[in-house]
Amino acid sequence: MEAVCVENLVKIYHGGIRAVDGVSFAIDEREIFGFLGPNGAGKSTTIKCIVGLLRPTNGTIRILGVDVGKDPGVAKRSIGYAAQETAVDDHLTGWENLYLQGRFYHLSQEEIRKRGEEVLRLFGLWERRNDLAQTYSGGMLKRLDIACALIHRPRILFLDEPTLGLDVQTRTAIWEYIRKLREEHGMTIFLTTHYMEEADELCDRVAIIDQGKILALDKPGALKAALGGDLITLKFVSTDERLPALLSAIQALPGVRNLRSSPDGIHWIWVEQRGDRLIPELVQLALAHGIQVDSVRLKRPTLDDVYLHYTGREIREAEVSREEHVRARILQRRVRR
Amino acid sequence: MIVADVGYVAWRELLKFFRAKTRLLVTVIQPLLWLGLMGNMMEGLVKNPFVERLLGTGSYLAFMTPGVLLMTVLFGGVFAGMSIVWDRRIGYLEKLLAAPISRAAIPLGKMMASAVQGGFQGLLILLIATGLGVRFATGFPGAIFALVVAMTFSLILSGFSLALAARIKSQETLMAVVNFFTMPLMFTSNALFPREAMPGWLATLAQMNPVTHAVTPIRQILLFGWDWGAIWVSLLVIGGLAILMMFVAAQSFLRTTVE
Ligand SMILES: Nc1ncnc2c1ncn2[C@@H]1O[C@H](COP(=O)(O)OP(=O)(O)O)[C@@H](O)[C@H]1O
Ligand SMILES: [Mg+2]
Repeated sequence: MEAVCVENLVKIYHGGIRAVDGVSFAIDEREIFGFLGPNGAGKSTTIKCIVGLLRPTNGTIRILGVDVGKDPGVAKRSIGYAAQETAVDDHLTGWENLYLQGRFYHLSQEEIRKRGEEVLRLFGLWERRNDLAQTYSGGMLKRLDIACALIHRPRILFLDEPTLGLDVQTRTAIWEYIRKLREEHGMTIFLTTHYMEEADELCDRVAIIDQGKILALDKPGALKAALGGDLITLKFVSTDERLPALLSAIQALPGVRNLRSSPDGIHWIWVEQRGDRLIPELVQLALAHGIQVDSVRLKRPTLDDVYLHYTGREIREAEVSREEHVRARILQRRVRR
Repeated sequence: MIVADVGYVAWRELLKFFRAKTRLLVTVIQPLLWLGLMGNMMEGLVKNPFVERLLGTGSYLAFMTPGVLLMTVLFGGVFAGMSIVWDRRIGYLEKLLAAPISRAAIPLGKMMASAVQGGFQGLLILLIATGLGVRFATGFPGAIFALVVAMTFSLILSGFSLALAARIKSQETLMAVVNFFTMPLMFTSNALFPREAMPGWLATLAQMNPVTHAVTPIRQILLFGWDWGAIWVSLLVIGGLAILMMFVAAQSFLRTTVE
């Protein structure tokens, strides 16, 4: 069964903004699925429709086979949601935040105590559990927020921009936690991001979304391969009559698309994907033909290239109301702390 | 289940209320100023038989104690709505709405918390008034009765501000709208001024004012004694309005989204 199945989702806000415009996708169980897109693309809107915070204008959403529109209660219990804004109550301690969350999911005292300790230890917050959340750093707040989303052991976790505004170390740590959740608890994870590396590093599959539409959806590798694949630049120490045999052997390797040679002895090899895995093989092959390799260089298309290819280069500023502005400022202050 | 949900929403508010030391201090100092300064200031002014007859007592302090009690509760109820605006800002409201709790539990929990806060502040006011020499004609049970009426009244106000906050997203607008109602409510009631001394039109307004209906029974049992015949209408009005506001507040959150 698919963990999440979205069909032709449309969301038009009151002002007439078409934030999500006919989006369809399905997420398998135990998959880490990513939405990659610029600000205002409709990522948060999509997530909020799925977790039941917004009423879709059109389309159907099924979570573990249950139609969210018809039976919201069942879906709510099997999902965890950490919003883009870190929704932690500053005036409560970390433990109190977690405890309340557990109570709101109708867990018993013992369950909260046991799982609470488990998630706080997992996220490295156990020692600070009795401190007020206002003394936490931005990264700790984000971790606490994700921990709260995990207290009821959801089968599907929704993370809206989990590493927005965090420093590199914290970001890598959160990636680790996310991977662990999948490995150890078999959780399905849906995350949104506008960081290329994040989608590339973490996701099994990525959907590129812009202006409410999915422009491409595939494995990160496949998306990159679609742009032309990896390019390996190869130079040999010395060449002789054995070279043509070597080159045709290279061309016969699986995944090799094209090979071109310059008169001054540089060879370009286009590979569908994972050019890094082909390099040892190339070197072995060359040695087997009695030819020494001088240098190898690999250039891979990044998800950056893919992203820009699909969304264009220009930066779009979304219109925001004054209240949203105030909110954004508060949240930024919290994140920077 | 909804009872537990309401309880935990209220628990969160109360935890924060009793933790905010400065705010607690203000809630003590404010009635102390009202009663201590204004009560004593007016004392000389009312020392004549005519005014005494209007007030029903020779002590303005005793007359105004129910008024100050209600005023504190009135302005306290406004904070319930503000807490929703704040929760919306920090994203906590979204968290509550995404949880499988009953949506009605959100306003109802905040209303309960507001009532408990009102009861606590009321208790402080009665203690201060007692310290200043005010005595209930009905003794200790009368004081408990006064607190129950005040807490019921706080449900009306918090329910009102919560119902507004379900729609109004900005702090300033909510403040302005709520004040637009609370200020006139206060000054067209008999909280600080006897209705008998008001001009006819104002007395009619005061007659319809819920604040008056909350003040009247408390004043009755403080100054004179138990007389259910004189207070049952007011109690009915206050009780009915409290229940109505619970429904209105609950209803306004059933349909609220994060849009
Ligand atoms: N509450 C709202 N009311 C009206 N428009 C909104 C609201 N929230 C978001 N939008 C608009 O919808 C579009 C998509 O926003 P969002 O889903 O937040 O994008 P993302 O999360 O990808 O940055 C933007 O144009 C944004 O301005
Ligand atoms: Mg977003």
